[in-house]
Amino acid sequence: MSKHRVSYFFNPDVGNFHYGTGHPMKPHRLSVIHSLVLNYGLHKQMQIYRPYKASAHDMCRFHSDEYIDFLQKVTPQNIQAFTKHLSHYNVGDDCPVFWGLFDFCSMYTGASLEGAMKLNHNHCDIAINWSGGLHHAKKFEASGFCYVNDIVIGILELLKYHARVLYIDIDVHHGDGVQEAFYLTDRVMTVSFHKYGNYFFPGTGDMYEVGAESGRYYSVNVPLKEGIDDASYWMVFKPVISSVMEFFQPTAIVLQCGADSLANDRLGCFSLSTKGHGECVKFVKSLNVPTLVVGGGGYTLRNVARCWTYETSLLVDEQISNELPYTEYLEFFAPDFTLHPEVVTRQENANSRQYLEAITKFVCDNLKMCQHSPSVQMHDVPGDAIPEEDKIKEEDDPDVRISQDLEDKMVDAKNEFYDGDKDNDKEDMET
Amino acid sequence: MAEVASPNKDGKDSGSPSKDKLFDPSVDMLVNDFDDERTLEEEEALAAGESEDPNAELSSLQKESNMPLEELLALYGYRGENQENESPIEEDADPSEPMEEQESETDPPDQPSKLRALYENIPENDQDAARLLRSVSRVSEEEEEDYDYSPDEDEWRKTIMVGSDYQAQIPEGLCHYDDALPYENEDKLLWDPLVISATITEDFLKKASEISKPPIPMGSHLRDDEQALYLLQQCGHNVEEALRRLRMNVAPSSDNMSLWSEEECRNFEAGVRCFGKNFHLIQQNKVRTRSVGELVQFYYLWKKSERHDIFANKTRLEKKKYTLHPGLTDFMDRFLEDQDGRDRSSSPNVQCSVSDNKKSVPENVSQQTKSTPDA
Repeated sequence: MSKHRVSYFFNPDVGNFHYGTGHPMKPHRLSVIHSLVLNYGLHKQMQIYRPYKASAHDMCRFHSDEYIDFLQKVTPQNIQAFTKHLSHYNVGDDCPVFWGLFDFCSMYTGASLEGAMKLNHNHCDIAINWSGGLHHAKKFEASGFCYVNDIVIGILELLKYHARVLYIDIDVHHGDGVQEAFYLTDRVMTVSFHKYGNYFFPGTGDMYEVGAESGRYYSVNVPLKEGIDDASYWMVFKPVISSVMEFFQPTAIVLQCGADSLANDRLGCFSLSTKGHGECVKFVKSLNVPTLVVGGGGYTLRNVARCWTYETSLLVDEQISNELPYTEYLEFFAPDFTLHPEVVTRQENANSRQYLEAITKFVCDNLKMCQHSPSVQMHDVPGDAIPEEDKIKEEDDPDVRISQDLEDKMVDAKNEFYDGDKDNDKEDMET
Repeated sequence: MAEVASPNKDGKDSGSPSKDKLFDPSVDMLVNDFDDERTLEEEEALAAGESEDPNAELSSLQKESNMPLEELLALYGYRGENQENESPIEEDADPSEPMEEQESETDPPDQPSKLRALYENIPENDQDAARLLRSVSRVSEEEEEDYDYSPDEDEWRKTIMVGSDYQAQIPEGLCHYDDALPYENEDKLLWDPLVISATITEDFLKKASEISKPPIPMGSHLRDDEQALYLLQQCGHNVEEALRRLRMNVAPSSDNMSLWSEEECRNFEAGVRCFGKNFHLIQQNKVRTRSVGELVQFYYLWKKSERHDIFANKTRLEKKKYTLHPGLTDFMDRFLEDQDGRDRSSSPNVQCSVSDNKKSVPENVSQQTKSTPDA
């Protein structure tokens, strides 16, 4: 298999936000991952972008204007003025108002949006944004530590060029925000593997949620019970995704890699190892479809860092040592200082083989119901959210000649949108 | 709950009483536990028993002298460091609790019953359910204090909502976007691996690391230097030119976090003492020379350092000295719980001096620890 071109989107400031005392979501995990990526020498193997920051306008492609307006205005200082809005937008408990909230949202959302655009333009095969993946956010409200749903916004961008986009979610929680956003359409299939039942957040995602109207059978849910281990997970993941590929034939994939499905997560209850989690990523990569990889949950900091660092290495096809390199965060990985510590868990696997087989069969039977993949009639390729040509003009140093890579960019992407005489987008389009 | 959080995972868990370590009288012990009323009563009761039979007293003394320290402490009602961190954890739902055997009432009638039978534990709409993700929170060993929270009244089982208030607007076919905003904040390509070969890049990194000796040793392995790679790209991937500039020190300052002064560190610690982890307030009142983001970053480096251990011990002593108002000590209590939740012995006798160079502190600690990781 040829090496994939991987782009990596990271804003060095995105890790320096704090949700508040005692909150399990710790954006600083992103800084720890980036540090590991650098120290493992993975950085130089990828195109590295300091991404665009999403504007309120970008966010309103999915969210309501009022809600985004609220996010933009509210701060811990003026929060009293918004008391009525807080419960309306479900902001407060799980989703606190912290300093820099909107900035944080625009960083992670911008990175996903830009990743989607790079994929559209065929600048890369895989785009990675570990800061994204906030899959619970709803059109009108925050939910489960998520404010702006960068995944939905990324998928909407992909839909400009792709007739069918597949969303895969391996977070321990159901990807309800994304599923809800695309519940009625057959152009996006959402597939979520998650713990379901017994008070587990968010309370949606049983297997009978299959979508509605045109989207019937395009929402796929694989409810699982606590304690699932690598082997059991694989037993379900592989046949379901294979079946999805067969019947849906997506031209782009968004993979949400929530790391709270790892063993010993502070909020999760699965028993996956980093290797088992990584198997899913490896498998999706082997499908050879342009893929946007995003983060998500993950509340035991050291394990999230291990997991996403390892998955970065899988995506760039690079073997990395089990012994962690020295970083300023090394102390977080005591006492073993390894990438793949042994999984020790007292969580029993409550998923019987019989159950796993039955759920797989149920899901695969449903998939057969999506008769024909939808076809989207081709018009015009819409303009990008961020005008692409501006980026090429971006100069770093005036006394340096334009580099080869920038030159290459200028002749890029066959469906690049040009206004002038180079305009070729009307003829040369893939379906 | 400690048992679910698997203390075996690593050594940093809340008190592991069976662990063999030097007797190290904790702050709690010094300050209050030894004049515990209960202990006195027990001693009196014991003394009463012993006075009847001097031989019994001798033999029990003999027995005690052979007892492991922990048992001895347990015998006399001393529970050590665990005492404090046992209570705050209770609010968490234990995911391994027996499930309620309930059937969903909303299942569509045409569902295959076989599957339904297997999926036996779909509980019904329950009263004290949560809209909160955190509701299943477990306190893991490294993690902080949790809130007392009260779950929402909503039923936990939700349905997917349908309507224009919920779904995204899917672009009809592929239509034009006319309203693209003028683009304000651009992205920046910092590195592209496809231009020059990997060997040239590695060679460059080696040379670059020799030139720009980092202020603190970063280990022997070759790491990717973001700044150097970016410079190489700015020079059109001309290695010579990039190295020349590195030598001339035209490169932008290498570290995005400049070193902290001793004064800044002290102010930061004073800030944590007053405001807990409210980094905004710390910034406003204590460390105005740094941005809130820098404080957050610093916090994570600091919390695993020796300096933090010293700070935590001091804070604990102070806590005992003052009777604080519960309302005002909120942050402090949480902070302290945080400390209690961890075994501090993982960076034990590292006598690294609390140096002015803040970043070197976590480093000394970790290097020493690293030399004996899995003995």
